[in-house]
Amino acid sequence: MRKSLILGSLLLASLAIVGVATAADTIPVGHLAAYTGPTSGVGIPYGNGIDDALAYINKHGGVNGKQIKFDTVDYSYNAPRAIATYKKWMSSLKPVAIQGWGTADTEALVKFIARDKIAYISASYSGHLTDPTGKSPKTKSPAPYNFFYGPSYSDACRGLVQWAAEDWKAKGKSGKPKFIHMGDNHPYPNAPKAACAEYAKELGFEVLPSIVYSLKPADAKAQCLSLKESGADYAYLANTSSSNISLLKSCGTVGVKTQFLTNIWGWDENSIKATGDAGDGIVWVVGAAAWGDDVPGMKTLKEISKMSDPSGTKRRMLHYVRGVCATFYMKEAMVKAEAMGGITGENIKKGFEQMKDFVPPGLEGVCTPSTWTAEDHRGTTLVNVYTSKYNGGDFKMTKLATVEVPRRPEWLGW
Amino acid sequence: MSSSAHARMNCGEFRTTYEQDTTIFPTPLSRRMVIAAVVFLCFAPFVLNAYFLNLGIQIGYYAVAALGLNIVVGFTGQISLGHAAFFGFGAFASAWLNNSTGIPVFFCIPLAGMMTMALGLLVGIPAGRIKGLYLAIATLASQFILEDFFARAEWFTGGVAGAMANPFSMFGYEFNTDQSYWYVVLVYLVVMFLMATNLLRTRDGRAFVAVRDHYLSAEIMGINLTKYRILSFGISSFYAGVGGALFGHYLGFVSAEGFNILLSIQFLGMIIIGGLGSVMGSLMGTVFMVLLPEVMEAGVSLAGGFFPGVTQALAYIKEMSIGLAIILFLIFEPDGLAHRWRMIKAYWKLYPFSY
Repeated sequence: MRKSLILGSLLLASLAIVGVATAADTIPVGHLAAYTGPTSGVGIPYGNGIDDALAYINKHGGVNGKQIKFDTVDYSYNAPRAIATYKKWMSSLKPVAIQGWGTADTEALVKFIARDKIAYISASYSGHLTDPTGKSPKTKSPAPYNFFYGPSYSDACRGLVQWAAEDWKAKGKSGKPKFIHMGDNHPYPNAPKAACAEYAKELGFEVLPSIVYSLKPADAKAQCLSLKESGADYAYLANTSSSNISLLKSCGTVGVKTQFLTNIWGWDENSIKATGDAGDGIVWVVGAAAWGDDVPGMKTLKEISKMSDPSGTKRRMLHYVRGVCATFYMKEAMVKAEAMGGITGENIKKGFEQMKDFVPPGLEGVCTPSTWTAEDHRGTTLVNVYTSKYNGGDFKMTKLATVEVPRRPEWLGW
Repeated sequence: MSSSAHARMNCGEFRTTYEQDTTIFPTPLSRRMVIAAVVFLCFAPFVLNAYFLNLGIQIGYYAVAALGLNIVVGFTGQISLGHAAFFGFGAFASAWLNNSTGIPVFFCIPLAGMMTMALGLLVGIPAGRIKGLYLAIATLASQFILEDFFARAEWFTGGVAGAMANPFSMFGYEFNTDQSYWYVVLVYLVVMFLMATNLLRTRDGRAFVAVRDHYLSAEIMGINLTKYRILSFGISSFYAGVGGALFGHYLGFVSAEGFNILLSIQFLGMIIIGGLGSVMGSLMGTVFMVLLPEVMEAGVSLAGGFFPGVTQALAYIKEMSIGLAIILFLIFEPDGLAHRWRMIKAYWKLYPFSY
C-alpha cells in the first residue's frame, strides 16, 4: 500500500508538470459540473452541452485561433467542494472564466470572483446575481462578475404568476386565487421565494405558507396531502426535474387538482416521459429552442451535438441547449475581450456588457437575444411559458405565452 | 564500572524511572525525527506547489478533528457518530464570532473550540448514562439535530445560504494564501498533538483509558465514570471545534451541507485506519484518507487514456475506494497503521531475532 502511495504521488507530480508545460497561449476555463448528486438529472445534459460546445469551439479555430483549455470538475452539488475546487483552480489552472452550476456555491463565490476578477457564467439564475453595482436596496452583495443566460428565477416565477393571473381570468373564475411556493430549504429553491410571493400578492393572489419537499427524489405524499388541504390553485415547484417527477407522481396518487408551475430546471423531455399522465398540463419556463425546432441555428446546434455523439442521432434535452448558449455567449465575450486588449476576466466582463439584444452568430433562433449592461446583469426578462402533454410513450410541448416581465429597478438583485 | 563503560554496554533503551517511561518520545531518535519532520514541513511552502499544499492543509485540520474523535472513541471507548456536526459547529462559531463581534480570527479559533466544547459537554451528558449502540444512536441524533440547526439558525450560520469566514490575520497580515495558511495549520497541528499526548500522560488521561478498558474496575478504583465520560466528549469536541474553525477560515465560506453523517463516518474511518487509541495513528489515518481519493483520481485519469469512460465513473470510484479501504483495514489490519508502524519499528529493533 505504501508502494501505491509513492507511485500515486509520483504520478500526480508528473501530471502537474505536464499541466504547466501546456499552458502557453491557451485560454484557461474552469467548468464546474454536477454530474452526480441531487441535481444531476439536469446537471448532466447541461454539462454535456458545455463540454460539447467547448470542444466544438476548439475544433473550429478556438477564440481567434486560441484554444480554450478547460477543466471539468464534478462537484456533486456540494457547495464546500465547489469552493475547494475554485481554490484549486486559482492556484493551478488560473482561469479567466468559469462555467459554474448551483446557486449555493455561486452565491458563496460572488465575493471571491469579484476579488479575483474572473468572469463567472453560472447555471444558477438566482436574481441575487443580477446587480453588478449593489445599488439596489434589495441586493445582498454586488455581483460584478456574474452572468447567466436566461431570465432570473425571480423573473421567471413572476412571469409564471403573470400567466397564472391571466389563466384565472380566462377560466372565468372569481375571488382570490391561492398561490403556493414549494421546494427544498436550499438557496436554489429559496432564491425566488420572497420576490415571487410579493409580485403574486401585487397581482391579487393569496399567498399560502410554502411547503418543503426534498431536492433528492423521494416519496412526497405527505407534502401532496398538505397541498391538497391548503386548497392552493397554483403551486410553483422550485426544485429540479428528478425531484419534481417524484412529487407529481405522489400528488397524482393523492388526487391533487392544483395547477403546477415550475422553473427552468423543473421540467424537461425526460420528466414528461417519466411522470406520464401525472405530469400532464404542468406549466413551465423554457429558455431556448427545443431540439429539432425549425430555426436557423439548429444546424449549428446539431453539429455541436456531434462532438460527443458522432452519429448525430441523440435527441438533446432543453438543458443541453442552454449549456451550449451559455458557452457561446462566453466565447463571444472573449472575442470582444481580445479586441479590447486581451482575454482577461475584466475584459470578458466588459465584453458581456457590450452585448445588446445579442445572439451568438450561428445560433440564431436557438438562444434568446440577451442584453447585459454595466448597471444591470438581467440578460433577458422574456419568459417563454410552455405546457406539456403525455401521449402514452410520446409527448407534446406547446408554447402558451411569451410574458415580458417589467424591468423594475428595485427588482435588480432580487 | 565506569560510566563510559556503562554507556558502551547499552544495547537498547533502558528506563529506570517513571519519568523516563512516560516521556513523550520513547527514544531520543524518535524525538529528533519528529523535530526534523516539523522543521522540514516549515520549508514545504517553498518546495511544494499549491495543490500539494492544499492537501497538506486538509490533512492538518482533519487530523486535529480526528485526534479529538480518537480521544472519545480510541481512549475512552465510547462511540460518537456526530463528530462532523461538532466540526461544523466550530466552523460556524468561529465565523459567527468574527462576523458579529469583530473579535480577530486569531482569537476566534480557540474561542470557537471552547464553544464547541461547551456543546460537547452538553451532548456528552447522555454518555454518562448509556453506552454502546445506544450511545451511538444518541450521538447520531445530535448529528441530525445540529444539521437541522445549521440550516435554520440564520442569525448564527446564515441559514442554508451559509456564512462567510474572514481569513486568519495577525498584525494586519492576512494568511489568505495556501503558502501562509500552511503555517497556521502546522502550528495548530503541532500544539494540539502535543496537548493530546500530554493529556494522556496525566491522571485524567489514564482515567480515560481505565474507563475504556474496564469501566467496572475503573469505578471500583474510584474513577468517576460519569465525569470522565462527559469530559472526554468535551475535550473531543474542543478538538473538533478547532479543526472546524481552521477549515472554515481556510475555505472562506462555511455551508451547512458539508457537515453531514458521511463526514462523521470519514472521521471514524480515519481513526480506524490510523489506529484506535493512538495519537500518531490519528495523523496517519488522516493522511491516508485525504490522499486516497487523490491517488484514485490520478490513477483513474491515467486509466482514462486507455479506457475512455472510466473518467465518468470517477466520483463513484473515489467514494467506493474509501469504503473499500475501511473494510479492508477492518479485516486485515484492525489495529490500524499505527500498529503496522510499531511492527516495522520492532522488526528493525529486534533484527535478526523475530521476537
